[in-house]
Amino acid sequence: MTEDQPRDDHEAQPDGGHTHRSLTEGATTTSTLREFFTRDHLPPMESVQRWLLTTNHKDVGILYLVTSLFFLVFGGVLALLMRIELLTPVNSVLSATGYNQTVSIHGLIMIFWFLSPFAFGFANYVVPLQIGAKDLAFPRLNALSYWLYLFSGVLLGISFFQGGSFEGGWTMYAPLNVPSYMPNIGSTTTVLALLLFVISVTMSSVNFLTTLHRMRAKGLTLLRMPLFTWSILLTVWMMLFAFAALLAALLILSSDRILGTTYFTAEGTPGSLLWTHLFWFFGHPEVYIVFFPALGAMAETFQTFTGRRLVGRKWFILAMLLVALQSFLVWMHHMFLTSINLEIKTLFMATTIGISLPFDLMVFSLIYTMVKGRIRFTTPFLFTFGGLLVFIIGGITGVFLGAVVLDYQLRGTYWVVAHFHYVMVAGVTALIGALFYWYPKITGRMYNRRLGKATFGLFFVGFNLLYFPMFIAWETPRRVFDYPAGLTPWHQLATIGGFMLGVAFLLVIWNCYWSLWHGEKVEGNPWEYATTAEWAVPSPPPLENFPGVPSYDSGSLDFLDETPEASTDGGTAVAGDQTHESGDHHDSHASPWPFFIGVAALVFFLGLSGISTGGIYPALTIVGVVFGAVSLLGFGMESFSVTEPELGERWPFEGIENGKLGVWIFLASDVVLFGAFIGSYVFLRVGYGWTDWQLVPHDPIPGLINTYILLTSSFCIVLALVAAEKNSRWGLIAGLSTTLLLGVGFLVNKGIEWVELFHEGIWLSSNVQASTFFLTTGLHALHVILGLLILLFLIPRAINGAYLDDERPVEYFGLYWHFVDIVWLFLFPLFYII
Amino acid sequence: MSVTYGLTTRVATVNSHHIELLLQANGRTMNDVFSMLFGVFLILGTAVGIVVISYMVYNAYKYRETPDSEVAERERPQLGELPQGSGGGKKLAISLTISAVIVIALIAWAYIVLVDVEAGAPESEDPLEVQVEGIQFSWQYEYPNGHTTNTLRVPEDRPVTLILTSGDVFHTFGIPAYDLKADAIPGQTTETWFRPNETGTYEAQCFELCGSGHSAMESDVIVMEQEEFDQWYAETGSETNATTNNTTDGSATNNSTANDSTATTTENRLLDGPAPERQLAATTRQ
Ligand code: HEM
Ligand SMILES: [Cu+2]
Ligand SMILES: [Cu+2]
Repeated sequence: MTEDQPRDDHEAQPDGGHTHRSLTEGATTTSTLREFFTRDHLPPMESVQRWLLTTNHKDVGILYLVTSLFFLVFGGVLALLMRIELLTPVNSVLSATGYNQTVSIHGLIMIFWFLSPFAFGFANYVVPLQIGAKDLAFPRLNALSYWLYLFSGVLLGISFFQGGSFEGGWTMYAPLNVPSYMPNIGSTTTVLALLLFVISVTMSSVNFLTTLHRMRAKGLTLLRMPLFTWSILLTVWMMLFAFAALLAALLILSSDRILGTTYFTAEGTPGSLLWTHLFWFFGHPEVYIVFFPALGAMAETFQTFTGRRLVGRKWFILAMLLVALQSFLVWMHHMFLTSINLEIKTLFMATTIGISLPFDLMVFSLIYTMVKGRIRFTTPFLFTFGGLLVFIIGGITGVFLGAVVLDYQLRGTYWVVAHFHYVMVAGVTALIGALFYWYPKITGRMYNRRLGKATFGLFFVGFNLLYFPMFIAWETPRRVFDYPAGLTPWHQLATIGGFMLGVAFLLVIWNCYWSLWHGEKVEGNPWEYATTAEWAVPSPPPLENFPGVPSYDSGSLDFLDETPEASTDGGTAVAGDQTHESGDHHDSHASPWPFFIGVAALVFFLGLSGISTGGIYPALTIVGVVFGAVSLLGFGMESFSVTEPELGERWPFEGIENGKLGVWIFLASDVVLFGAFIGSYVFLRVGYGWTDWQLVPHDPIPGLINTYILLTSSFCIVLALVAAEKNSRWGLIAGLSTTLLLGVGFLVNKGIEWVELFHEGIWLSSNVQASTFFLTTGLHALHVILGLLILLFLIPRAINGAYLDDERPVEYFGLYWHFVDIVWLFLFPLFYII
Repeated sequence: MSVTYGLTTRVATVNSHHIELLLQANGRTMNDVFSMLFGVFLILGTAVGIVVISYMVYNAYKYRETPDSEVAERERPQLGELPQGSGGGKKLAISLTISAVIVIALIAWAYIVLVDVEAGAPESEDPLEVQVEGIQFSWQYEYPNGHTTNTLRVPEDRPVTLILTSGDVFHTFGIPAYDLKADAIPGQTTETWFRPNETGTYEAQCFELCGSGHSAMESDVIVMEQEEFDQWYAETGSETNATTNNTTDGSATNNSTANDSTATTTENRLLDGPAPERQLAATTRQ
């Protein structure tokens, strides 16, 4: 076997591309278009095509980094606009709605389109290297996540040109966020852009979780994972659940905006409180989601540049774990000023203070790591050190907000603004450190050291000059452009600091750009005392990362030969067999479909934003749907091969393969999505008066019939799977087709029921009862439709004899379908009977 | 206007009065409580911050690499090793305990104070009850006699209970000079109270982004001497008995007609479907 060597010469190229085109003679003769669609190998890095096609985690990581820095500039320009406006205590440059848009979009961009993706650039690049994986579990899905992220940002940008963007703050409080108060199309577009972003995040979470749990090198148990990887693992777990809640909130909001449902305007029922619950259930974990990767980067750089292993490593991990879990139990501290009662306030005050303590531990752990070290003040260390320093100030000022009485006064003022910038931009500072730390790894060149250090000086001074005065001028109300005149000097200082910080950011970007050509060359590892696996390979690493199979079995990193024998003592013989059956085939790294799906999504959502106003929008929607369907089909039909590693640590998911774990993880987030919908229904109904609430369907019988239909269909899919296992092609086809028919029956039955209701004049916007009924069961119906589309894809393939050797796709579909049934078992009683 | 701004003033005003308050059980207002707590938090917070950051910077300096740094290379991390930690758990545990004690003590104390404040205005002092409604972009106050106005007038030294709600979107009502803040939420009521202790004109403001006029959603709060207030109040009483709806001074006349009918309109709207007329009115106004 030749697998112990990189398979092609071009894969040994440090940039992972093949500059020796002569090696792929066949491909060069065909037309470029055909090449684009059927390409096996990646074009070189200088080619634009490569970046449109690549599915390699390192390329995608670079794409994330570059794109997020672009959004940093975008968000930064908005920030400076505000700072200019705030030079004087009266309204000067921006209009009132202009200021509101600026503040809202600045917040949204910085949190969603800059900070998280910036961190995920590193996660993409570094995590597979650190755990010893060739790529993520689902490389094409990863590329798709990226394109959806990019195009969601484009959509956000477009919103400014549709009569103005969103004006209600990044927290998007209800009912200001509905069309009767914010009628412009641009605000709908903003909501949809965020929705698209959330879809991208969800796919990323599934991908990273599967990778992290299933693709670690032998000997790299969970507890042994490097700290940056640990921070990402916990971040993605939080993301999976938190973003599902946001997805629910945004779906409901989009429906309120486009379909006219009345969730958030339901006045007699607490519609606006519903938003705060949904949003903050997401929003508080989000605080840690944006900060954890920075924490992981701090831990890595502190270890490397102090030359000491982290003090209390296990406690550090435990502390992160505690925070990740508890982050879902503190959301109501954002609602201390609402009508919640003293008991709840007490509870949430306690959980809030409780969650601050693990952070104390982590800070101390980092500080103690320096003791007895050999500290080298390189640019990356300066930035992470500075990040920790300002984070301490951010943390202390946060304790003030946890004390409810102080929160009563500090809420809605610049105290909060100063506090969260000290925390979040501390994270940014540390991630800039990470950028310099991994820059030589990513580019094979060293950044300009002198400029790096000077930049840090400017950054640090600018940072504190910008945000510290906000503490002093804390009595300024948040999100306003006129403030008490006595505070003017502080705001002017802040503006000066803002510009210094802005210049520092530009210098960081300039340094990275300049050093691409002029930086000193770096071979492998420029950092003394770096330990993690990414430094054990060339810089930049070859396309498939490692010269052999990475393993920590001996207690430290080795690269084993990729021989079949290696798998026999691995204890995972089954997985090994599967990979080896396919013999000499190798992994794919290119696919055009993720990009096309991204474009289709952009067009589709742009169309949706204004669909009720007519004009060009309905046409755009249709184009988006058609193009999306074609692209998805292309994605599904493409043969794209990835191998699962044969050896590895997989606790606690040894027994199942990547695909199945991915489906399970996705379903877990779907549980939260439906949980949030059902929770919203219950919340509104309780607020309304549980028994006063009239059920929308007059008659439970159609619902009951549908329950039977779905149960039967679940049974059919089990039969199909059994048939596939028994190699019975016709049994399989019969099982799948019956499921399809039953699913169609379900929809027809539901359609009749709905049409009758419509005829009676009951529509989604009629009242809150109708809104919840149609939207929740509609979301379920959408899941059914999705299932049927998958069946329509599976059945023709089954007819051609697929799935008999490998019935896993049918099994995965079965899991999904059972889940959809179970959801119905909850919805039916809630909406038809009780 | 007797409002002073800035962090330093806040700290400077922590004085013996606040220490007395520590010992005294009731009669604290949000104003007293806030100044006291905030002052103590600031002093302690600054102290902790200085200690921790100095320690951090000191260590960074002390263990910086120098040409003669002693190098015990055996103990240094090696490329490719399995990630592991260095000891120091005990030291961590101690630091954590100390910080936990400080934080928990502070919060426990803040909590005791909170319970006090939450008890509401002391009934024995016959608090004045005013209904407050936030409407894009003004505040409306309704007195027990039905008088409605856009300026909050209250007597000196008598507790005032505010019952807040909103006629349209989410607002937050605050009077910075009295360290008072509470949300005004459509369909909900929230309650808060304060004790105006000095005559003068203060400002109430909106603290939750509520639309284009948010920055300017302000109103005057006039604290008057008791007699002056009584006189003013008596006049409004006779006036409002005649015409309930016409006394609204200022912009928001077409909004929220008779306040007592709000509840019923809300319900009707729910049952009859959407078309929240008042909301439309609110957006077109501005
Ligand atoms: C780099 C990372 C940054 C992050 C993650 C961030 C995040 C945020 C967030 C979440 C908000 C709240 C928006 C809202 O209230 O809806 C905000 C507000 C604001 N930010 Fe930033 N920001 C960053 C950088 C900056 C910079 C560089 C400046 C100044 C040059 C700045 C100035 C402001 C200002 C003036 C506000 C408005 C505060 C208010 O009126 O409430 N931010 N930021
Ligand atoms: Cu929170
Ligand atoms: Cu307001």
